Amino acid sequence: MNHLLIMLPILIPLYGAILSLFFWRSVRAQQVIGILAQVCLLIASFMLLFDINENGIRTTQVGSWPAPFGITLVADLFSAMIVITGSITGMAVYLFSIKGLDKARQTFGYYPVLLVLQLGVSGACLTGDLFNLFVWFEVLLICCFVLIALGGTKPQLEGAIKYVTINFLATNFLLVGIGVVYGTLGSLNLAELAVLVRTPAAHPALINMAGMFFLIAFGIKAAIFPLFFWLPASYHTPPIAISAFIAGIITKVGMYALIRLFTLVFVTDQDLTIPLFTVLAGFTMVIGVLGAASQNDFRKILSFHIVSQIGYMLMGLALFTPLAIAGSIYFIIHNIMVKTNLFLISGVVAHRHGTFALKKLGGLYLQQPLLSVLFFISAFSLAGIPPFSGFWGKFMLAKAGFEIDSFVIVLVSLAVSLMTIFSMTKIWNEVFWKKKPVVDPLLEVMTEQEQRHNRLLHLPVVIMTVFILFIGLYAEPVVAMAQLAAEQLLNSELYINAVLKR
Amino acid sequence: MKTIVLATAIRILIPLFIIFSVYTLFRGHNHPGGGFIGGLIGSIAFVFHTMTHGPQHTVDTFLKLNLYGYPRQPNQSRSLYLMRMMRVNVWRRRKMARHPDMKHHMVRIESVYIIATGLFLAVTSGVLGLLSGQPFMHAYWTDFYIPVLGKPGTPILFDLGVYLLVIGVVLKITFVMSEE
Repeated sequence: MNHLLIMLPILIPLYGAILSLFFWRSVRAQQVIGILAQVCLLIASFMLLFDINENGIRTTQVGSWPAPFGITLVADLFSAMIVITGSITGMAVYLFSIKGLDKARQTFGYYPVLLVLQLGVSGACLTGDLFNLFVWFEVLLICCFVLIALGGTKPQLEGAIKYVTINFLATNFLLVGIGVVYGTLGSLNLAELAVLVRTPAAHPALINMAGMFFLIAFGIKAAIFPLFFWLPASYHTPPIAISAFIAGIITKVGMYALIRLFTLVFVTDQDLTIPLFTVLAGFTMVIGVLGAASQNDFRKILSFHIVSQIGYMLMGLALFTPLAIAGSIYFIIHNIMVKTNLFLISGVVAHRHGTFALKKLGGLYLQQPLLSVLFFISAFSLAGIPPFSGFWGKFMLAKAGFEIDSFVIVLVSLAVSLMTIFSMTKIWNEVFWKKKPVVDPLLEVMTEQEQRHNRLLHLPVVIMTVFILFIGLYAEPVVAMAQLAAEQLLNSELYINAVLKR
Repeated sequence: MKTIVLATAIRILIPLFIIFSVYTLFRGHNHPGGGFIGGLIGSIAFVFHTMTHGPQHTVDTFLKLNLYGYPRQPNQSRSLYLMRMMRVNVWRRRKMARHPDMKHHMVRIESVYIIATGLFLAVTSGVLGLLSGQPFMHAYWTDFYIPVLGKPGTPILFDLGVYLLVIGVVLKITFVMSEE
């Protein structure tokens, strides 16, 4: 049972994808399989979380090969929380794509690829082996490439080429880093690496070098300051059902790997990493939010905000106290949901009005009041206004920063919050508040069926908003769990003992 | 590229390739070989056939199933009918094909189905261990030994899955590229 619980978040999407391949000709069957897989995945990941919450870290050895030799799968609170958030997001995106994605793309394997992408997310979160982590990131990269290029319009191919080129570079850095680690320490199992780097025989300079390779690799994947430029260039090109999922979760998986490695393995030389992370976090926040301020397209503003929010997650790692890491974890969960939801809302708007340009939109407050409320909640959550979810993450990070007297980074983060409100207000003013600009009325006419579709598109947005409100208004259990997860992360002995059975 | 030498040679080579690929597949556990390389060797046969005769001919030769059947009688139960149909298609097919009531259907095996079958076999070989309380991909071996092929066990199922997967992918690539 123990082994089954950890494997289920990997097996369910995999079997879903395989069954969808068997029904290659029938989109309807793929949809049914997909929804079943999503529901099962959600249930399985909740079961995993409850199990870990009761019994501590769970591990399994694939193929019964014992720990430092075989592939280990480890589920601790942090990974289980990301898996759950991923499955909630997957479900919402999935519901959205049934009506929100054109038939041609659905026929050419959208559903199997989406499930394989979720498989990659679960795998990257659950693996306890460095090379296996690399393989899961390859799975993510290939699926994102297929999804971004699916449909083959000109801007999509342009975005896909940028995305793939830079991410292949990141993958190479990752491989070099893995090579250096294996060459110096002679192991790839994360738990054994954590033991080996703490022995006096370890060579600190080489380990630092490997750590920097990992920082560059996952820095590109997570879109950290000097390496983020590919993200706003590619994330807005595919249809919204695709970019919502990719934008919501893939960069955060990079962030997950960064937090995992820099709390477990590369912790020996914190005089180097902590100032570096602090500087990177500050620049990522500021540059991202400034980039967003200069944009005039719904999706591009949101894409730049992904970069800025990554800075907050990195800030938790830079402060490196239990509270800060907990803040980071909470912020990742909050951000995955809110960002996906905002992208989905932009998709609903575009489905109704056929454009993402702020100049051409307007007057939605009168036409779609429900959507306006949903956007209002999500945007305020993103900006971090008190009762909503973003506030708690930022509050924990700021408090942790004040506790260890890192005033500069806290001030930067608070200023960036203000700028985020400015951006969200810009979208609010342009899309919802201002009078509708005069356009050709023929473009706006919707048939009865299209109106029904548009109403159905609200469903996933409402579901996501309920989850966002839940983790915002009833934050206590989520925050408590994030703190437990942070303690597990910072107390590496727990992880090492669970894997190596000492 | 239709040359008579290749076209004649390929007829003898195809069974050779396939037998050798199956041999490579089964010896892979303790010697060089296995599902991936076996699948590649096996797909060479189909690639050569496509190169000489074109993709349509390859599909007609290897990837079409002839199925026979008659419509279900109104008073016949569904399960009985299904079993009848299975028997008709397995047992004494030649004779059945000449039967006047029989209808003839051609089913094309798409390469995506081969891929899916391969993936399914590979994953399921891992799940077998999981269901009996062992970790994923725990191996079960039989006690007896088959002369050329070796000891059967669940890992051979995994290799078989990889074999089918590789053949399916190569076929798909070959068909797409040769049609352009």
